[in-house]
Amino acid sequence: MGELAVSDAVGDELVAIGLGSCIGLALVDRAANVAGLAHVVLPESQGKTEPKAKFADLAVPDLIARVVAAGAVRRRLEAVLIGGARMFAVGASLDIGARNAEAVRAALGEEGIKIQAEEVGGNRGRTARVIIGSDISSQLAGGTRTSLLTLSGGLGARAATPTGTAS
Amino acid sequence: MSGRLTDMQLDALRELANISSGTAATSLSQMLGRDVDLNVPKAFALPLADAVDAAGDPAEEVTGIALAVEGTVPGAVLLLVPPAGAATLCGLLGVEPGSELADSALGEIGNILGAAYLNALGSMTGVEMLPGTPQVITDLLGAIVATVLAGAVGHGDVALVLDSELDITGEPCAISVMLLPDAGGVNDLLAPLGLSEATA
Repeated sequence: MGELAVSDAVGDELVAIGLGSCIGLALVDRAANVAGLAHVVLPESQGKTEPKAKFADLAVPDLIARVVAAGAVRRRLEAVLIGGARMFAVGASLDIGARNAEAVRAALGEEGIKIQAEEVGGNRGRTARVIIGSDISSQLAGGTRTSLLTLSGGLGARAATPTGTAS
Repeated sequence: MSGRLTDMQLDALRELANISSGTAATSLSQMLGRDVDLNVPKAFALPLADAVDAAGDPAEEVTGIALAVEGTVPGAVLLLVPPAGAATLCGLLGVEPGSELADSALGEIGNILGAAYLNALGSMTGVEMLPGTPQVITDLLGAIVATVLAGAVGHGDVALVLDSELDITGEPCAISVMLLPDAGGVNDLLAPLGLSEATA
């Protein structure tokens, strides 16, 4: 939670387990095989500056900077959103999930980054997986993985295609 | 909350959790007609991600019974039971596990435990804490705990978790009882003991 990971190594797996109201935000440059995953917890930083990935408004620019530093080309970046569930019908977490999703979309819009896929909302937790050179997937507790974006077909990705789900 | 709690403060919180969950264990024991053992509670104040890990394996499927807490120290009470334990509890209450009644029976256990816990805590500290309506969900532990903590901790740096374990004697059923006070509430719990952040 509030964490961020970036990789440019084909076969590497970035995982956010058990996303409830949180959002797993993946940014990927498919041509360069660079991707990052941020675990966003709250919509707004409200004056806080760290940890950046915790807040949607800070997480988006930070994740962009991190994947670009790892070799991604900014204009090729695509986004995938996973999570943002409404786990509890009432109570303390008054639909933080929907607010998180909205805030992430708004921040991506400001940066001009296209959202390629979303698996957001509902009332179940999800696990987000980014496998560099393979795909980005979402999985419900006890369910099967749903592939949301294929990541194969990168510039030099063929040499080391990971075992698994690439199509 | 500054995020820095002294060992003495954590000890005091652990003792509050111990007495409160002892009262809750007694209530549960009366409800089920079984002996209930209480393990030594844990008290930890950790960054969000570490707090979720400390609560258990985030990928494990559990049944969570959550009650919002309102009053002077708002927050949440969260009970976590592995699915087998939830089935045991339903069996002891004469309810078919997995049925619609099962969730309402588990919610009732949440009511009883939550009210007993908060009453005991309130009478020790003079702090008013009122349990809300319980909600029962079965999902990944990480998703449940993170969602409740995100609401409680908000923009705070650390999550305070008081975690007690109740075991029903002779049954494979361990219930984790967690109190998750909102950021800032910890001072209201410690002040009556003379251990508030200002004085520590």
